[in-house]
Amino acid sequence: VEVNQKTILLVEDNPDDAELTLRALKKSKILNDVIVAHDGAEAIDLLVPSDGKQGLDAALVLLDLKLPRMDGIEVLRRLRANERTRLLPVIILTTSREQEDLVNSYCSGCNSYIRKPVDFVEFMTAVQQIGLYWLMLNEAPI
Amino acid sequence: LSGNASPMSLSRTRRLFIGGIAAAAVLAAPLVIPGIFSSQFLPHAFCYTGDARLISAHVISDALIWLSYVAIAGTLVYLVRQLKKEMPFQWMFIAFGVFIIACGFTHFMEIVTLWKPVYWLSAYLKIITALASVMTALALPPLVPKIREMAKTSLRSREVQNELAASNRELEAFSYSVSHDLRAPLRAINGFARAVLEDGAQQLDEQSKADLLRVTAAAKRMGELIDDLLKLSRTARSEMVREPVDLTCMAQEIAAQLKATGPERDTSFTIAPGLTTVGDRGLLQVALENLLGNAWKFTGKAANAKIELGVEQQDGHSAFFVRDNGAGFDMQYATKLFAPFQRMHDDDSFPGTGIGLATVQRIIRRHGGSIWAKAAVDRGATFYFAL
Repeated sequence: VEVNQKTILLVEDNPDDAELTLRALKKSKILNDVIVAHDGAEAIDLLVPSDGKQGLDAALVLLDLKLPRMDGIEVLRRLRANERTRLLPVIILTTSREQEDLVNSYCSGCNSYIRKPVDFVEFMTAVQQIGLYWLMLNEAPI
Repeated sequence: LSGNASPMSLSRTRRLFIGGIAAAAVLAAPLVIPGIFSSQFLPHAFCYTGDARLISAHVISDALIWLSYVAIAGTLVYLVRQLKKEMPFQWMFIAFGVFIIACGFTHFMEIVTLWKPVYWLSAYLKIITALASVMTALALPPLVPKIREMAKTSLRSREVQNELAASNRELEAFSYSVSHDLRAPLRAINGFARAVLEDGAQQLDEQSKADLLRVTAAAKRMGELIDDLLKLSRTARSEMVREPVDLTCMAQEIAAQLKATGPERDTSFTIAPGLTTVGDRGLLQVALENLLGNAWKFTGKAANAKIELGVEQQDGHSAFFVRDNGAGFDMQYATKLFAPFQRMHDDDSFPGTGIGLATVQRIIRRHGGSIWAKAAVDRGATFYFAL
């Protein structure tokens, strides 16, 4: 099976959560480069820079919803509005299970919505499956 | 009139009295007034000197007034019929209707007497109108304080509704931040304790490893408690849609799901056929899941486990019940049964967060019903609920 080698962008403001996600990715033998953006605006600057520079070519975006400055839903809307990132796989990785967040995320065009479990073992399983599915099984348009 | 008659019956007596006099006057009038249909007078059109424009101005105006009065009375009658129960002072609206129709007929007679000078008949109808008018005029003032009181009450209830909506929005924001912000530190506690366990496996002695496992378990447990608390608050704020619900069918599905979680267990479900009620389907599903789930859990160690759903007469009212022959509980703690986080058993014997019955009670109360239980230690429990 061919593995997508491109960079993963993790958008996460909480350093503990970022660290745990990186750890889970490493433990799951997902060897892709991972860049961490600490808020929504930083993620947008990386993926669709406004100064004409080449944006990051990512395999996958793991996006938290509650972020400082620009929240996850707004990031998602901007990615979908941009020609270059409108088909980029975006997975919401968040704490909330409120219906409103789920509906808003899917309406704004997320590809998947995963709630971070408290238990790290369960979290590891989730991250492993994300990697297996989105980097190996799923065919993404170039 | 008796001294202790209520104000209501007093005013009713007065109304009957006035009505009686009016009816007597109406019936007696033709006897007193000679030649009611006599028309040996000059028709009204004669007074208008046959001026076609003046006559048509009177005819058109009087006809329009008459028709409008009939239409207004018709609307009032329709309103009273539609809002049978909610409508206060129904009789007042009917009196208004009679008053308006009577007024309408005086205008109708104005048209008739233009050509047919039945002035006595016209006067007779005017007397009836006068009586209806006087009665309405007399009956209206005593209502003023009552109407003012009602307006005040409805204003107050609107205020309360606004306050309630505001506090619901606050609760919404609160539970959102609970669900999001309280879980993040728990993930860190659980995750980094797990990291120490894995990375330091060589250096840690068995006791330290066991202690770290306790840390991870406690954080996970608190995550579950937060989730259950959120479920409880969701049952309180979700919108209710009342519809007919087939409890038998719902319980059969839940029983099948429970059986699938423990295929090795020998537990019999007896679900009475044809149990139906009216309520919110989603909430009742949660309530039944909790009650049957509890019965399933607390019969886990019972031989010959039996779980039953049915309906019974309790204190003269019919109540649904969920009965099991499991662990039961001591009735002296029954008052604590429905409080959040209250448990009757230790976590090793029967795991749980103690939020299930609190959720069920909230759901039953939101339906305007009540829930209670009968039980004995090791002799099972029966939960009754009436909607």
